[in-house]
Amino acid sequence: MTAAPELTPADYPLSINRPELLRTPTGKTLGDITMDAVVSGEITAEDLRVTPDTLVLQGRIAESMGRRQLGENCRRAAEMTAIPDAEVLAMYNALRPNASTAAQLEEMASRLEDTYAAATCAALVREAAQVYAARNLLAEED
Amino acid sequence: MTAVAPRSESTVRTSKRTEILEARPVNLDGFVEEWPEKGLVAMESDFDPAPSVRVEGGRIVELDGRTREQFDFMDTFIADHAIDVDTCEAAMATESVEIARMLVDPRTSRADVVALGRGLTPAKILEVVKLMNVVEIMMGIQKTRSRRTPANQAHSTSAKDNPIQVAADAAEGAVRGFAELETTLGVVRYAPLVAIGLQVGGQVGRGGTLTQCALEEATELDLGMRGITAYAETISIYGTESVFVDGDDTPWSKAFLASAYASRGIKMRFTSGTGSEVQMGNAEGRSMLYLEIRCILMAKGAGVQGLQNGSISCIGVPGAVPGGIRAVAAENLVASWMDLECASGNDQSFSHSPMRRTSRLLPQMLPGTDFVCSGYSAVPNKDNMFAGSNLETDDYDDWNVIQRDMQVDGGLRHVREDVILQVRNKAARAMQALFAELDLPAITDEEVEAATYADSSDDYPDRDVLADLEGARSVMERGITGLDLVKSLERTGFGDVAENYLKVLRQRVSGDLLQTAAVLDADFVPQAAINDANDYAGPGTGYRLSGERWEELKKLRHVTSAENPEEEVV
Amino acid sequence: MTAAVDSVRTLQLREIGPAERGTRPEEVVIALSPAFGDPFTKTIVDVPHAEVVRQLLAGIEERGGSARVIKVYRTADLAAIAHFGAKLSGSGIAVGVLSRGTTVLHQRDLARLSNLELFPQAPLLDAEVFRMIGANAAQYAQGQSPKPVPTRNDQMARPRWQAKAALLHLKEFDCIDKNRNAVEVEPVITRVD
Repeated sequence: MTAAPELTPADYPLSINRPELLRTPTGKTLGDITMDAVVSGEITAEDLRVTPDTLVLQGRIAESMGRRQLGENCRRAAEMTAIPDAEVLAMYNALRPNASTAAQLEEMASRLEDTYAAATCAALVREAAQVYAARNLLAEED
Repeated sequence: MTAVAPRSESTVRTSKRTEILEARPVNLDGFVEEWPEKGLVAMESDFDPAPSVRVEGGRIVELDGRTREQFDFMDTFIADHAIDVDTCEAAMATESVEIARMLVDPRTSRADVVALGRGLTPAKILEVVKLMNVVEIMMGIQKTRSRRTPANQAHSTSAKDNPIQVAADAAEGAVRGFAELETTLGVVRYAPLVAIGLQVGGQVGRGGTLTQCALEEATELDLGMRGITAYAETISIYGTESVFVDGDDTPWSKAFLASAYASRGIKMRFTSGTGSEVQMGNAEGRSMLYLEIRCILMAKGAGVQGLQNGSISCIGVPGAVPGGIRAVAAENLVASWMDLECASGNDQSFSHSPMRRTSRLLPQMLPGTDFVCSGYSAVPNKDNMFAGSNLETDDYDDWNVIQRDMQVDGGLRHVREDVILQVRNKAARAMQALFAELDLPAITDEEVEAATYADSSDDYPDRDVLADLEGARSVMERGITGLDLVKSLERTGFGDVAENYLKVLRQRVSGDLLQTAAVLDADFVPQAAINDANDYAGPGTGYRLSGERWEELKKLRHVTSAENPEEEVV
Repeated sequence: MTAAVDSVRTLQLREIGPAERGTRPEEVVIALSPAFGDPFTKTIVDVPHAEVVRQLLAGIEERGGSARVIKVYRTADLAAIAHFGAKLSGSGIAVGVLSRGTTVLHQRDLARLSNLELFPQAPLLDAEVFRMIGANAAQYAQGQSPKPVPTRNDQMARPRWQAKAALLHLKEFDCIDKNRNAVEVEPVITRVD
């Protein structure tokens, strides 16, 4: 997800104005998603997902509108595309109050970094761990 | 029962006029005195903090009178994620009255007042909106709402969780103009079938409507990931740390969840509203609006594109205290000003009085918001599984007349009976074909006929609930996705519905619906606060109801023809 | 609606001693919240607290059960009150009641936030419902599986009662006494004509 082009608000919506920038996770274009291709089985559910590259592009558009936080959210989301559905939900549950110890949160942050190259997500988890410690929201150590 | 029973009778003789007044619906509503020490106060409380901010080493170290060591987790999250450190000291130095004037004055651009807002603390924002009366608040909403063209959202639910009813009412809702459709359940296990009904009905009524099914987080996300629903909204946040924790979440867990939705290309907004904290007994002595402003900044800090607010399910609380509905309008203003999509409430039963229901609606309807109702009941309220809405199906014609009277666009339109019958019938037939194709419990011709002409769930034959629940389970177990539904619709002769549905699913690949206030228009073009950004700058600018759309809204059920006064306009 | 009683009954909760674990295998404990009976005297829809207790006891009695009444001071959380009562109950069954009328049927072995039957909409609870709740409690205590009391729903309850419920909730919270142990009480119901 490097070397993404600079985008301005005029590029939005990408599906209309910059379709050439968009790909499905299997490398198909938007134009490839036709009813015929669906019926023949060429297009599968896997194709109907957003890629990390696209999320980065949308994040840049948001930032070009002055929406810094929405841009950051898109960056975290780009990292998360690599994490399987069930693990995303498990990580969310682990971030709930009193659900994890400091060590468990650190383990999750390391896994985000090492397994999924999700540095921004890992930073969010480490920040949560610090606040939870200060506000007494960590699970009791066994 | 009890809610419509009269007040206890008195033996003291009263005047006939008093008797008449006592019998008015408004006297069935509940009103209470303020109790500011406990947070039972709308927006003017001596117990709210004074605004302050201090930055040291590129970090906010003081916020509204608390130093970093004293921060609770809301303060920390807001200081570290929501407020712009670079601009906050200058922004906070601006006189509150000057900021309030900027919100009202058309010569100050939306961009300027939004930029200034990025540097303000919750107490400062409160101080600003406290200076504004309800008309000024509406002026502010008119300017700061993010999308230029207003829209509306519907509830389509069934007291019997009947998926055919949900499909038919979704189709009617979509053809009447709702951009988003939302459902929820009585029996949660019914969710897959009802969510399918909502999606199919929505695409019959008007291609491009977006749908969601309100459930607990895991199932809601699952249906979204499968492509059976298109967006999510019931992600609740709260204004005090203790209530947030009671809800089993923190700003960090919710921020993580926001990214999880975006990572699957699914549109999402948070939900909050005045009154929830005091309702749960932990307002920490702050006013309802102060706490809601903390929620709005938390949502902004999480990077979620939008927020459903306007008290929502706690509307009975601000609705009962002095100035409460002004505070509710103010919370919509602040969400818009903070550059979030605002789905502005008007979505829960609010009053027994039709006059009061309407007056509560106008601060959102007249200036227009991103979604005037975050749940207009597109089913009779007795079928509304969100516990009833401020507006329901029998208000459709009143709504259309108010739009025409005031020349405002509330997102709906009058639709001829033959068109409504046609889309209801088609939605039911599409469901019939789909259920047969997927080996789900059969939908009879009698049910299709009932769906075409029905008002409420009473008008439908009862379904075999156990068989349906088994069918619902199999939808989940077989891993049926939105794409499977598209294929089945295509195979069974509902190619146009299949095509509409596929175009909605395709949006996931583009991520276009993740941008602020994005909806799909009838041509499947994403319209967001970027390509349809609000450009209001005073009289003659911004969204104006004109041209083809205005001609459409001039139509009503009964309008006498000018050409031939013996006939009505069709 | 509000328990059409011809005459007024008043309730006095006469303290007997500390609330202790019961031994009768079929007894039901009625656990009352900190403000129940004093300072509050009626539910959110004016059902007198005397009537609430009278109907619960009558419902239990007509199903051949017996009851003890306790008053809890340390919490105003309904689930906690009822679960505490269930743990003291010889049968493990308790009815928890808040001053505004919200009621739950609880059982000792369930998780605190779970329940046998919950009646969250206090404005819809009248004398008849309290009697049915009592009757079901007695049946649970005897190891039976009664049909749940039919739930009522009213979407206009919010505009009329939501704020008053919040107010009553705040007042009940003010009556919490963290230092005061639960006590067993004898309900004395006096008829005032």
